[in-house]
Amino acid sequence: MLRYALRRLVLALAVALTVSVATFWLLRAATDPAAAIAGPDATEEVVAQVRSEYGFDRPIVAQYWEWLRGVLSGDFGHSYFWRTSVGPLILSHAPVTIELALSAILVTILVALPLGIAAALKPNTLVDRAALTIAVAAQAIPNFWLGVMCIVIFAVKLPFFPVSGDKTWFHFVLPAIVLGTSSVPAVMRLTRTGLLEVMASDYIRTARAKGFVSLPLLLRHALRNALLPVVSVLAVQLGHKLGGSFIVESVFAMNGLGRLAMQSVLGADIPTIQMLVFIFSLTFVAMTFLADLLNAWLDPRIRLS
Amino acid sequence: MKKFAAYLAAGTLAAALWSTAACASRKDDTLVVAITAPILNVDRLYTTARQELILAQLTDDGLFDVDPDTLRYVPLVAKSYKFVDDTTLDVTLRKGVKFHDGSPLTADDVVYTYRWTSDPKSGTNQGRKIHRWLKSVERLADDKVRFKLNFPYPLVLRDMAISVPLRKRGTYASAEAAKTQNSALNGLGPYRVVGFDPGKKVELERFAGYYKGGPKGSPSIRHIEFRTIPDLQTQQAELMTGGVQFMYGVPLDIARNIGATPAARFVSGSDMRVDFIIMDAKGYTGKDDPFVKLDVRRAMNYAINRKSIVENLVGGSSRVIDAACNPLMFGCIQDVMHYGYDPHKAKALLAKAGYPDGFQFDFWVYREKPVAEAIMSDLAKVGIKARMRVVTSGALAKARRSREVQAYFGSWGSGGTADAAAIASEHFAPKSNRNLSGDAEVDDAVIDAEQTMNDAKRMADYTKAFKRIAELAYWVPLYTTSANYLVARDLSFASPKDGLPRLYLLKWKK
Repeated sequence: MLRYALRRLVLALAVALTVSVATFWLLRAATDPAAAIAGPDATEEVVAQVRSEYGFDRPIVAQYWEWLRGVLSGDFGHSYFWRTSVGPLILSHAPVTIELALSAILVTILVALPLGIAAALKPNTLVDRAALTIAVAAQAIPNFWLGVMCIVIFAVKLPFFPVSGDKTWFHFVLPAIVLGTSSVPAVMRLTRTGLLEVMASDYIRTARAKGFVSLPLLLRHALRNALLPVVSVLAVQLGHKLGGSFIVESVFAMNGLGRLAMQSVLGADIPTIQMLVFIFSLTFVAMTFLADLLNAWLDPRIRLS
Repeated sequence: MKKFAAYLAAGTLAAALWSTAACASRKDDTLVVAITAPILNVDRLYTTARQELILAQLTDDGLFDVDPDTLRYVPLVAKSYKFVDDTTLDVTLRKGVKFHDGSPLTADDVVYTYRWTSDPKSGTNQGRKIHRWLKSVERLADDKVRFKLNFPYPLVLRDMAISVPLRKRGTYASAEAAKTQNSALNGLGPYRVVGFDPGKKVELERFAGYYKGGPKGSPSIRHIEFRTIPDLQTQQAELMTGGVQFMYGVPLDIARNIGATPAARFVSGSDMRVDFIIMDAKGYTGKDDPFVKLDVRRAMNYAINRKSIVENLVGGSSRVIDAACNPLMFGCIQDVMHYGYDPHKAKALLAKAGYPDGFQFDFWVYREKPVAEAIMSDLAKVGIKARMRVVTSGALAKARRSREVQAYFGSWGSGGTADAAAIASEHFAPKSNRNLSGDAEVDDAVIDAEQTMNDAKRMADYTKAFKRIAELAYWVPLYTTSANYLVARDLSFASPKDGLPRLYLLKWKK
């Protein structure tokens, strides 16, 4: 198990490093950081002065090495758009995104699991089709549209929830529903498939033959095994939510990492974008790593192979 | 089941009451203004964006102000002023003016502010502009200051009104003090900053120590909050539920729709901003560029149906323009060569220029995409195929610097300045990367007009410049934009001529 974990850890770090190199190179290829700092009205002389002051005229490898060394020593750089250190800036925005992501995953679980179970218990019936339709619709509806619709219905027409902001838990209800909806199909389908497989397995058939016919009992025994892959998928989905809340945070005017990233992109703030992309990729890698570990822990066949 | 239903009903009611209670309104004398872009710094000396200028109108006072009705420059913190000669300006200060920390304004504070602002090392965004014309500033008496100018500069009062808010002596003495100023501003304006969350909100409170009898008057509303809400639909929803009372820069269709509901009224006003197309007449992108030819540039002017664009897309108070400036500006004559919509003439000119089947070009666009698409459609009718390149303003600036731009959709707000210098000098100065015509005759006229105090001479210079710009079709001047506001129905608001809302004038209706 330890060997497996170490192997996956090395692989995860390699992915994170590759992403950081690609981000660093792409950001500098896409825009001129010196021009971004100097502003749109700056003369060539001013841009050249900024380029020299900030060291943008040095080889890109040297710049990358300096950035990586800074990150490893805890210095995430200085934002010239927000005019503050990138580390504290990200830390101040992280709680909103974390809370939103966790709430969204909760919504996913609350919707996808019952739908998946219902579909598995009544396969190829109207219930199954209805659950599938809901799941497909949830996947097809774009976040920005669903967000606006939720606002119109549940904040304007029926003023149950605040339109925007992130002051209290109440502000998180609509955004969590919108963000959580997009993960419903994956989790629902996996629950349905897993449960169908387990329900057809020998030990359930034996249990039934011995007279265990009550639904809750069957679900308790069957679900335990059926949900093993779902747990790891949820871990990956959490990574998605942490790094993919740009639109939802913008629609609901929430001050999280997604909105920070959006504003930093518009402000061509390379140090913040670089660090955010790095953190998002690290988060995703960490969640995938966690999912791998969970799978390996729950299913001995994975670590043996 | 009954129990569940009861819980649900109670929860729903509580939620509804709670969300209603959370809204700011006239009840707690708080005006919430929705802004799309973030405010990252409350110190006007270090900001340039529109929302920060609107904020500075509330938190800061300079020596002069722009009268929203006449657009003339009037003394604000200054009591009076006198031009001793073309390059010497004496300003006498008003008595009883206090900073938000309670300390009185002195001549030393004015001297400090101007020396700091114009010092290139201070890194202020306004510094380069002030440094260009300010030779020296000195204290003549406790309430009197003398400014010496490097050259006669007709926009000196404009710069003093818009670009230099006054600061207490020693405000930027240390890095720590400067950092404090970035978030807890000590200004002279009718409102003081009481809360600031960068990128999220700025909270203001009416300043009890604000002087009486000034042009800004005494503000009526006690609290003003700027809330960043990036999404326009969300801003609308907040307005409809009472979470926001004021929106500006609203697209016409949204303004019309929401203005027709009981939640808000649509106010349309004029704006100093103009939209236009600039073509590479000089041939920076290549000497064989089609826009080097006069007939092609004139064909562009004839091919675009500006009237239709104004009527169907821009709307509100927008007007078609013929000259490369806003008619509200001093020096902006409209008696220049007129290009009406005439696609047949455009085709004939293209054929004459050697492009009977039209040509293709890269059309750089960083805002107003729907208008750009309408323009592309008009151009396609005469055979000109525009390949739209939608970029950020920063990317466009980079492309202009490296001389890659054949033609771009431009927009210029002139900082609300009612003087042609505000648009001409930025677009026709020889060193400006926005100057794609490179016409020495135009450039000289524009520079001359900016370095004399003689209004008649200035008018003559601008007349010469704008007539030549139109005749040689360096631009396709399109229209003045419309300033569209959505205002809560219980608020009293009159739109200013320059499109810069003075929120200190807002009042709750009785």
